[in-house]
Amino acid sequence: MQLDPSFIWTAFWQLLGAIPTTLSITAVSVLAGFVIGAVTAMLRMYRAPVLAQIASAYVTFIRGTPMLTHLLIIYFGLPMIIDGLAEHFGWSFRSVSIPMIGFAYISFSITAGAYMSEVVRAGILAVDRGQVEAAQSVGMTTFQSLRRIVFPQALAAALPNLANSVIGMLHGSTLAFAVSVVDINAKAQIVASTNWKFFEAYLAAALIFWGLTVLIERVAALIEKRVGAYNRGGVA
Amino acid sequence: MGAPFDIGYVFSFLPKLLDTLGVTLLIVAGSLLTGIVAGFLVALPRMYKIPVLRTLSGVYLSFFRGTPILIQLFLFYYGLPEILKPVGLDLTRAPVMFFVILTYGLHTGAYAAEMIRASVEAVDRGQVEAAYAAGMTPYQAFSRIVLPQALGIAVPVFSNLVIALLKDTSLAFTLGVMEMTGKAQTLGTLTQHFIETYIALAFIYLIISFTLEKMLLAAERRLTRHENREEKRESIFRLKKRGSYRTVLADIHAGKGGGA
Repeated sequence: MQLDPSFIWTAFWQLLGAIPTTLSITAVSVLAGFVIGAVTAMLRMYRAPVLAQIASAYVTFIRGTPMLTHLLIIYFGLPMIIDGLAEHFGWSFRSVSIPMIGFAYISFSITAGAYMSEVVRAGILAVDRGQVEAAQSVGMTTFQSLRRIVFPQALAAALPNLANSVIGMLHGSTLAFAVSVVDINAKAQIVASTNWKFFEAYLAAALIFWGLTVLIERVAALIEKRVGAYNRGGVA
Repeated sequence: MGAPFDIGYVFSFLPKLLDTLGVTLLIVAGSLLTGIVAGFLVALPRMYKIPVLRTLSGVYLSFFRGTPILIQLFLFYYGLPEILKPVGLDLTRAPVMFFVILTYGLHTGAYAAEMIRASVEAVDRGQVEAAYAAGMTPYQAFSRIVLPQALGIAVPVFSNLVIALLKDTSLAFTLGVMEMTGKAQTLGTLTQHFIETYIALAFIYLIISFTLEKMLLAAERRLTRHENREEKRESIFRLKKRGSYRTVLADIHAGKGGGA
């Protein structure tokens, strides 16, 4: 087996076709995860009875187990639940009609939600309590003070962690191969085994992921500059 | 898909999975050692701002943090023998475990390097100056003043590092290592009780990471007892005092925002 540098380029072009799948898994899991995470964080911070405990258990469980097990449990467990319910209530919907990528979306969103809840929590905790008091003293309602005062500052504080989460989910999306979704990693596997050039194919995949990660980091840095504009010291 | 759910299988799978716990922990321990050594080697040029080496460290960090561990596993497994062949090293017969521990070690090394750098930098510069003023040598100042404080700062990050590594080892089965996840897949295929195996698997991972977290939390308490920490209050919208807020930040700053 000899290293074939030109094949890296060939593999690179073939892998480009799988980028949308990887990005869509990442985007869905990050967006849905953010919503789940925000709700979870709020439940925990406002100590909603019962719900707060459930939220804590959820976060502990997800953060204590590998993402792969979440995917596999959803993949094998969800159809059982859905089919059981469908039979019981006489629905025509069956789990077979869920596309494979659907399992990846659902499971990764659940995973992302737990990590996001910590991101949201740290962001909100970083906002000084005096800011909320000041907002209330000028007559804002709780909702107004949250929306106008707390969230913008929390977002700025949470951005680096948010970027890390996005990168984490981008890298996590490689697990989708376990439910036969053809993302960049699975595509690399296919390209590698059909041409018997494993090293070259995975090198190309690594380069793509590296590029995407650096891109996310750059974009996050740009946004951070913009969102943190209020925080600059000095005059003008 | 598979046989109907039967909770009894979860319990019968637990001891079978625990048989392979040793392999998982071996990967964790081996990579942790490799990772800490690699982390020091990578962090030093960045802390002392050594030209060239510092740039290399930067590339190392960027690569290992910028690509998924799964890709790195395959890359090293297939690539390393080819790269080292011209040098005269024949790795084609090396055990898979070697590649697994090496890859996880180098991957962990990137996060360990950041942990080391951040914790050393977090120690107040005035502390070192005070040590010098009291007549300590640079080595004394480091071992008596900087190190104990840096350790306390590093522990929460380290805790996350170890747990992230533990969870990552679930991917070693892709190279054919029979660790817990690999065993779970085999059991699932044999009995067709997939969901039960994976629940048992998740349960074991949960227990281990919980135990590790508690142990390291105790270590952190011990190492930071000099900071007279106020009791943990978690009032909403409050900038927490250094000790606990640092832990919250460290929780996510481990760099791994996601599972894999």
